[in-house]
Amino acid sequence: MQYPNEHKKIVSNLLDGKFIISSHLFNVIKEQEDDYIEFFKKSYGFDLKVEADFAYLSSDDVKETRTRDFVLFLAVLCRELDYSGKNFRDTVELGSLDISETFELLKQSSKWEILEKTTVADFEKFITTWTGKNLLMKTGSQFKFTKAVIVFLSFAVNIANAKIKEEN
Amino acid sequence: MSNLNLSGKDILRFLVQHYDFVQMAFLSGKPDFVIEQDRFQTLVDEYNTTNDSKITVSKLFDLKFCRQLTSGEYKINGNYSTFLEFIFDDFVLDLPETLKTRYQAIFGNFINLQTEIDENKISLYIQDIVNEVESFLNDIQRQTYRLLRDTESLKVNAENNADLTIRVQKAAYWIDEYIIPLNSVLNKEHPDSIIATIINIQRYASEKRFSVNTFRLKKEFEKLYACVVNANSELDQTIGKLTRELLPLLERIKSDSLILSGFYHFIENIDQPENYIIPLPDLLKKENNSVMSNNFSAVAEFYIDHFNPKNAEVIYLEETEEIEWMPDTSYFKELLLSENGSENFYQWCFDVLQKHTNDIPLSKFFTVSNLILEEDLKAEYLHENRFEIALSDVILKMPKVKVYAISE
Repeated sequence: MQYPNEHKKIVSNLLDGKFIISSHLFNVIKEQEDDYIEFFKKSYGFDLKVEADFAYLSSDDVKETRTRDFVLFLAVLCRELDYSGKNFRDTVELGSLDISETFELLKQSSKWEILEKTTVADFEKFITTWTGKNLLMKTGSQFKFTKAVIVFLSFAVNIANAKIKEEN
Repeated sequence: MSNLNLSGKDILRFLVQHYDFVQMAFLSGKPDFVIEQDRFQTLVDEYNTTNDSKITVSKLFDLKFCRQLTSGEYKINGNYSTFLEFIFDDFVLDLPETLKTRYQAIFGNFINLQTEIDENKISLYIQDIVNEVESFLNDIQRQTYRLLRDTESLKVNAENNADLTIRVQKAAYWIDEYIIPLNSVLNKEHPDSIIATIINIQRYASEKRFSVNTFRLKKEFEKLYACVVNANSELDQTIGKLTRELLPLLERIKSDSLILSGFYHFIENIDQPENYIIPLPDLLKKENNSVMSNNFSAVAEFYIDHFNPKNAEVIYLEETEEIEWMPDTSYFKELLLSENGSENFYQWCFDVLQKHTNDIPLSKFFTVSNLILEEDLKAEYLHENRFEIALSDVILKMPKVKVYAISE
């Protein structure tokens, strides 16, 4: 494998559990997709997932346990946005959200009793954590989801389809 | 009493005067516009109780609003039901199969038209084609409008998962049963599609409007040409609405509802991870100094394990311990004193030790010879000559020394 100049940065970002979103780094990975998949598998035993707009590492053994909290947060947010008459998917995929307004929206939800027992309860810290992983982007008092949110929306679609299959 | 000479005004007046009844009957009869006998009578009775102007079943028959079937049910007249659908803006979706039948009628008339030579019959075929095309356009527009309107209403927020499931089902049903078949009916690429037939009719009429001999036929083909040109452009718009608006919208509703439905199930099972049908995405957790693969890690751990300090297992080996014999200084001093000292002290030391052991190293020798330093013994060097004493580990050259007890 020919190591590109950005190799160290790519490896350290991915090993830090970060998503690499459409960028120069992502393009470098994309150009050597097969090499990098093999590199991470052989060197670390991790699976490199390269999607259309982003890449990330996945592992059965070294799991980010807070993922559950993030999915829960996204699930309740989509639900509340839908209830409030907004097009939740446009908001999640394209829009910006005010941090404190979103926190209030979540707290009004009947599902807050579940969320408050998770890392979402410390909302500022929660936003910072996931911004660090490039799943969110924080700008001042606003935040937005990066393209990597597709991983979690697809997760929901897969559940629904499995459920439909189960019921039939 | 029956009025045999009903005018259009009588019918319109009836519709205006009894608008509420007509609407109730229309809604009760949908979609086939057949109403059970009891239900129909109840509708009439309820209407008459709340309204000053009364209606009777016989009056409804006179107006040809409905007729009674042999089963006793009442069937609303097709002319009324079509008009009422238009008035109430409430259409029943026809299956694309129904549209296909209309298309087949157009196609059949077109085949006949091409072979017909009788001017009167040609006019009739053209009129039939124009009528069928108009009806077809009308049907397609109604369908599209109805689908768009229902799709908009399908977008309304779902209160629970049951609503979401209905959304998904309806969207999937409309896509599979209406949009895709409609698209195939309207597909330009397909030689048997309505569009392909309309294009053929357009070409034929365009040529005929110049080539026919009579003025009457020219006018008829002009009419047909105008009809199909218009149909072509309207169908283009309809296809646009179906494929560019309705289909993506329905797909969107379907996938949005799937997301909400999936999240709904996830939240419901949040405390029972064993019930997750789909495992959570396995994101990597940041690990400090993660420099090795699990496999390598296991091998390394196994190796390093060997160096881990562990409580040593103490194993006692029973072995016969040889206790080294050491001279007892006080014994030899007593011996020396009992012999009144020695003229050659170092030789004496060697000799007495030899009586106890054959192995006399320097250490044993010195233990005894150190008696010379005892304060109550006196040593006298008699001369300078030295003699050898061969010990087991060394050979000493010692002077001849007289040692004796200091007398009190």
